[in-house]
Amino acid sequence: MALTVNIENKGKEAFITLAGQLDSAAAPSFRDAVDQVFAQPEKPEKLIIIMNDLEYMASAGLRCLVFAKQKAGATVPIVLSGVTEEVYETIEMTGFHHSVEIVENYASNA
Amino acid sequence: MEPLTVPATLEELEVLADFVIQAARTAGLEKKPAYRLRLAVDEIATNIVTHGYQEMGLTGDITIYADMDEHSLTITLEDSAVPYNPLEEEEVTPEELHKPLEQRELGGLGIFLTLRGVDRFTYERMANINRNLFTMRRPPQSQPVGDAKPQE
Repeated sequence: MALTVNIENKGKEAFITLAGQLDSAAAPSFRDAVDQVFAQPEKPEKLIIIMNDLEYMASAGLRCLVFAKQKAGATVPIVLSGVTEEVYETIEMTGFHHSVEIVENYASNA
Repeated sequence: MEPLTVPATLEELEVLADFVIQAARTAGLEKKPAYRLRLAVDEIATNIVTHGYQEMGLTGDITIYADMDEHSLTITLEDSAVPYNPLEEEEVTPEELHKPLEQRELGGLGIFLTLRGVDRFTYERMANINRNLFTMRRPPQSQPVGDAKPQE
């Protein structure tokens, strides 16, 4: 069990793909990816987090999303794509679904 | 299941997660309750490691137990870190849960998810041991996995 984190830039959109288990030990690698995305000279206009293969997310993962939202600012939307039912339950219970876009399968505009 | 003792570090928490997943399967819990139980145990174990041991400059172990009867499964975590009662943490308010993310407090969500996720949560301090108990109701007529006997 571990977390795999991949970053990809497509035009003005940044994608972070998470797979595996996002627990407190793994959270720093997601946080680093968020940091990296917003440290680019040209700040992305949208951050899409692909979660189809994310089997587990603890509150440490939620704190990374708060961090991402703070980095992104009000004008850069964050999209969660392919969230599993169990992870979605956590997102909904904690009210995070009010602050991010949730889509089944993100279709890029880029 | 035999109890299991691991060093209290974040890297070892996945061993506890595997233990809980196995216990939930044996107890016949459905997918979602099994996930909530695993989340609850992981959140409290994370707090034990970070607040109970590491922030106090302490090292030690966490022991995990699974106890089952026909009605429920109880997972117990025991540690010898400083007294730490999760129920004494300030509760996350409904107002907090409706705030935009950028204005959120970072703490408290783990305990919120724990208390919302399990059927019963109890904390006890016995001598120098913290004991956190997580109980889930088992579905009616659930058969342990591997027990092929048909139900009459």
